[in-house]
Amino acid sequence: MRILIIEDDLEAAGAMAHGLKEAGYDVAHAPDGEAGLAEAQKGGWDVLVVDRMMPKMDGVTVVETLRREGDQTPVLFLSALGEVNDRVVGLKAGADDYLVKPYAFPELMARVEALSRRRETGAVATTLKVGELEMNLINRTVHRQGKEIDLQPREFQLLEFMMRHAGQSVTRTMLLEKVWEYHFDPQTNVIDVHISRLRSKIDKGFDRAMLQTVRGAGYRLDP
Amino acid sequence: MRLPRLLRTTPFRLTLLFLALFAAAASAFLGYIYVATAGEVNRRAQAEISREFESLEAAYRQGGVDALNQTIVERATSERPFLYFLADKDGKRISGSIEESPVSGFTGDGPEWASFKVTETDLDGAEVKAAARGVQQRLDNGEILFVGADVDASEAYVRKIVRALWGAGALVILLGMAGGVLISRNVSRSMQGLVDVVNAVRGGDLHARARVRGTRDEYDELAEGLNDMLDRIERLMGGLRHAGDAIAHDLRSPLTRLRARMEVALIDAENGKGDPVAALETALQDADGVLKTFNAVLAIARLQAAGSAPDQRQFDASELAGDMAELYELSCEDKGLDFKAEIVPALTIKGNREFLAQALANILDNAIKYTPEGGAIMLRARRTSSGELEFSVTDTGPGVPEADRARVVQRFVRLENSRSEPGAGLGLSLVSAVATSHGGRLELAEGPGEYNGMGPGLRVALVLPRVE
Repeated sequence: MRILIIEDDLEAAGAMAHGLKEAGYDVAHAPDGEAGLAEAQKGGWDVLVVDRMMPKMDGVTVVETLRREGDQTPVLFLSALGEVNDRVVGLKAGADDYLVKPYAFPELMARVEALSRRRETGAVATTLKVGELEMNLINRTVHRQGKEIDLQPREFQLLEFMMRHAGQSVTRTMLLEKVWEYHFDPQTNVIDVHISRLRSKIDKGFDRAMLQTVRGAGYRLDP
Repeated sequence: MRLPRLLRTTPFRLTLLFLALFAAAASAFLGYIYVATAGEVNRRAQAEISREFESLEAAYRQGGVDALNQTIVERATSERPFLYFLADKDGKRISGSIEESPVSGFTGDGPEWASFKVTETDLDGAEVKAAARGVQQRLDNGEILFVGADVDASEAYVRKIVRALWGAGALVILLGMAGGVLISRNVSRSMQGLVDVVNAVRGGDLHARARVRGTRDEYDELAEGLNDMLDRIERLMGGLRHAGDAIAHDLRSPLTRLRARMEVALIDAENGKGDPVAALETALQDADGVLKTFNAVLAIARLQAAGSAPDQRQFDASELAGDMAELYELSCEDKGLDFKAEIVPALTIKGNREFLAQALANILDNAIKYTPEGGAIMLRARRTSSGELEFSVTDTGPGVPEADRARVVQRFVRLENSRSEPGAGLGLSLVSAVATSHGGRLELAEGPGEYNGMGPGLRVALVLPRVE
């Protein structure tokens, strides 16, 4: 997996690159918008991490230019804390996901991972299968070891997302954004309560827990 | 050399310019009056003299110098108001009512006009000098004839007119000056009020305000504009100062704690004791808490500074309320709270969905946090009779005493008995900022009263204006 970081803050880029390399990614860094765009145009990247504010060319222009040229490489857009409207601007420019700085590294990691695998699961499937767990997307049923599990609509959506990202860490913010489709910062553990409810349904009475809590990051569905 | 203050002001200079133009116009006007009146009087007197001269000339042409002489003698003794003088071609007097011609050094043929004085005896027998005017011309055979008239009455009339005109001119200038000074003093005073305010603010006194006189003129408008501007600046400055204080206050303790923990962890690690990984994890949690607080403060400040929420669009508020109900229902159940939602379907609203979601989440977070086990929480979304959209959350917790309700909305204010709960005290401030940035308001009221041995509860309502 090749990741290009386009970010003018060298320290932040260094820390990010270090963490991603540790996780087994192949990482390159461009220190400004122009260099980043040139590097991105060479192609062959799996994910681009693009900062909003940069010298020479800002992140929005970089993403817009790439999209105009037909480059569909997934982009994770970064912007400074408190810029309330940046998310809308970034997504409008063609970014696929958005993260506010300063971010927790597991959050960045989880999003990069989700973006990098997105292409592989592009095919339209009618069933999802993760280990013993099977989900039928047509008649909306879930079975584990052949036993039907009764889920509420939201629990079904939540599990579907976890299954599509099986083996990856998924953060609480990601779940709120992708399953509930809200972008705000809950002060309490609302997501945890939903996850534990789901966990009690899919793991209770089985010998092995599939839905794992990842410390400092969020959750992971293991096969 | 410095001019007196008044003379340096723009209104006074404008007054001077105006006065100059005004004086020029007045001069033209008065000049016209002079020509039309005094000029006319002189012209009439002159015309009468000319007519008399012509009738004498006619007599001369008919009967020669003798006939003329006779006519002059006749006329001089009659009551005619003219003065006559006839001389031969060398200037030697032949006859007339005056001894010599008032025209001196007469060499050509004329006609030559002259103004002079005649000595007359008035009714009391006193001698008076009177203004006279006459014309002298050489006749066909070289004799010289002068005809004049006492024009004292008309001269006096003209002098009166001229005096009146001078007076009028002086009056115009004086009135103009006085008016100008008055206006410029008035204008200067109005301006001075504003200048004083600007200087005071520049000197650091943000409380200074211009006086609005209630005359609804442009100075009032300017003063009101200035005051509004200063109000906003002061509010923002106050907000910033308060936010600064609040951030300092609220970030100091977690930052101090963070630092202390790291220090202890470092000492432990050096001594080969303790668990550095666990210490770093706690440190990260502390840092996240600090960032969360910081983020909330920044969001509030941005919303307040922007005035209105960014990226507002129309969406289904019932759906938003439904999503929030669904999101928080489990948390309520988890804590042993009875949760109900009453949401009127298809309520549309124009606003920023994420901020409104955050606001509702904050209200629900608070309700869950402060309601003891066995309590109940009710979420409602409805349109009020006045067409406003109202989201309300009612809980059966301890509530907020009426005296404190305005205070809890302020940043970082946490009531004494809630200090044990986690949180930075920014929840309701953010809700309030979201409400305001949508043209709405946040209302706090007492809940349902006694419930399961607790109460009286709190009702928090986010009220948004009707969509036009």
